[in-house]
Amino acid sequence: MRRIESKVDTSSDEFRLNWKHNRALADTLKERHRAVRRERPARDLERLSRQNKMFVRDRIELLLDPGTPFLELSTLAANTEYGGEVPGAGIVSGIGIVEGREVIIHADDASVKGGAWYPLSVKKIVRTLDIAIENRLPVVHLCDSAGGFLPLQADLFADRYLAGRIFRNQSILSKLGVPQIALVLGHCTAGGAYVPALSEYNVIVRGTGAIFLGGPPLVKAATGEDVTVDELGGADVHTRISGTADYPATTEEQAIAIARELVGQTQRPEKLDVERIAPEPPHYDPDELYGVIPRDIKVQFDVREVIARLVDGSRFHEYQPAYGSTLICGFAHVWGFKVGILGNNGVLFNDSSLKGAHFMQLCNQSRVPMIFLQNITGYMVGRDYEHRGITKDGAKMIMAVSGSEVPKITVICNGSFGAGNYGMAGRAFDPRFLFMWPQSQISVMGAEQAANVLADIKIRQLSREGRGLSTAEIAAIREPILEEYRRQSSAYYSTSHLWDDGILDPTDTRNALAMAISVTLNAPIDRPHYGVFRM
Amino acid sequence: MRGAGVTGIGGLLMQHTFVVAETEFEAWLSRYGSGYVLHVGDKVVPVALADTASDGQFLHCGAEISRVLIAPDGDLVHIHLDGATFTVRYVDPVRRYGSHAGGGADDIAEAPMPGVVIAVNVKEGQAVSAGETLLVIESMKLETAIKAWRDGAVAAVHVGVGQSFQRGAPLLTLAPQ
Repeated sequence: MRRIESKVDTSSDEFRLNWKHNRALADTLKERHRAVRRERPARDLERLSRQNKMFVRDRIELLLDPGTPFLELSTLAANTEYGGEVPGAGIVSGIGIVEGREVIIHADDASVKGGAWYPLSVKKIVRTLDIAIENRLPVVHLCDSAGGFLPLQADLFADRYLAGRIFRNQSILSKLGVPQIALVLGHCTAGGAYVPALSEYNVIVRGTGAIFLGGPPLVKAATGEDVTVDELGGADVHTRISGTADYPATTEEQAIAIARELVGQTQRPEKLDVERIAPEPPHYDPDELYGVIPRDIKVQFDVREVIARLVDGSRFHEYQPAYGSTLICGFAHVWGFKVGILGNNGVLFNDSSLKGAHFMQLCNQSRVPMIFLQNITGYMVGRDYEHRGITKDGAKMIMAVSGSEVPKITVICNGSFGAGNYGMAGRAFDPRFLFMWPQSQISVMGAEQAANVLADIKIRQLSREGRGLSTAEIAAIREPILEEYRRQSSAYYSTSHLWDDGILDPTDTRNALAMAISVTLNAPIDRPHYGVFRM
Repeated sequence: MRGAGVTGIGGLLMQHTFVVAETEFEAWLSRYGSGYVLHVGDKVVPVALADTASDGQFLHCGAEISRVLIAPDGDLVHIHLDGATFTVRYVDPVRRYGSHAGGGADDIAEAPMPGVVIAVNVKEGQAVSAGETLLVIESMKLETAIKAWRDGAVAAVHVGVGQSFQRGAPLLTLAPQ
């Protein structure tokens, strides 16, 4: 396979300015990750140590095989919500290696509001278990939650994808034969009590761990019965009397050691037999991605320059290099795994849409996982294009992306606007993983266009009432709309609401993709079949 | 004994091409019994690589045995053989058999999509080098730089700032070479 020949001038001012700008954004991301992972008010950490409990990050570190990578997901969930006071939505989620096996971890963070589940905590746990189902990944639950956050209970309890879905997903995992191991490291109350109960194996720590449907105060209120935590649902009650828990542990460390032993005796999943060759680092340094991505989202760049800095040896077999050139399609390897790549190089036209739909069918036919690199302002508009059927050609892409059986992984590298998001495997189209880069934006249309539309409506309304507006008054209407729109289309807003699985430093993308691809190969790939393509 | 395919048509065979010290060699490795034979030109030699106890490997080539160190580096392989060092470069066949013009044989830059001109960076008669930005156009909220596809002189700029155009419209012509 041929090496892409980069046309980027790494000594140009443009490259240097881009590099500085994007590197600063990556540094900000790193700092925000660090703060969310480690920074907690002293009183919360003191309370944990008083309770004889480890900090959630230390628990995970002890659980994982030393020196192995941990792909943390949705680290910045809830960063724009709840006054910024619920870092990571109070949940740690990620994929790591335990006893040589890939597992996904759901861990409650008791240093945040006692591990209470907020609406976005529930969304994060459900997503974690969705990933487990789609990729047949064993789950380790580190349970330590005060239960649902009552003031917001209406937003976390009853609907289809709210708290009940956690337990539904656990049951589906069990039905699929994907094992779950739960560690009861704090109280598992009410709904939370079902997490260990629905796991294949669970371990409970004597003294700090407890499982019950209603805690002592609730029991007292309901029946008048006086009962202690240990008598009601402690380690001995559940491992000797009720059979709700399997293994008692005297310390958290011992519980984690038992969990490692349990993971070690699960059956190793048979990976799908896809093409794999000896890995080769990219010929072009991934660090140059900072210089490739323009500072202004409106400025176009060649997605091949991105591909060259992600794939093995910077080698890329480009499919239909002369046709539909605004969508680049082709084959490459990432850490030795063969992949099909679809990357935007401009607006989607009729030809590029057809090429995309066709290429997806090729990947499905030859069982090659697909990577979508999004930088898309949408499908071309205008009379000529409608006459040529741009809408039905976009529909073909959507039909192909929805019907695809091979794993899809999406990286939003820059813009993700309008229907382009759909055709390029946006969140609604079930990519196994979706990541964003820090400077990327996602919305139904660009911020300026949307702000203009919204401001125009308001201005026309006012002028109908006979009020003429000065330029300053128009700006006063437009600016706040633009500001709010920008906020809601930022990568940080997206990741806060779990529209993605996390923001990646562009230079980490290659490794994240490799871990993601490896994980997807635990699940079988069905034969390709689709709905009706409107011809 | 010859391996299949080496007979007759010589230069038309799609063999691997390597460059060693600026000289091109065509070679092919094929299976023979439980080992391999190397085809270079008309020669066919049994070859094998065996690990040594310490560093490097033994290269068996016909009756000769030499100690060899091999370090692959992308399309290059550095080889230390009998006290001498060689760098071997693999030549990609699709590139080798393609024309060297690399496309862009035309003299005219045509609009890749309908849009508006937002900057013209060059004047008629000006010399430009490949990769230099000639014009910037905007379409569907995206700014696209139209870059020189080869070295040359600007023969004509067909559009001005603010002007809109349809897909395929001529934007700029370079003087024919």
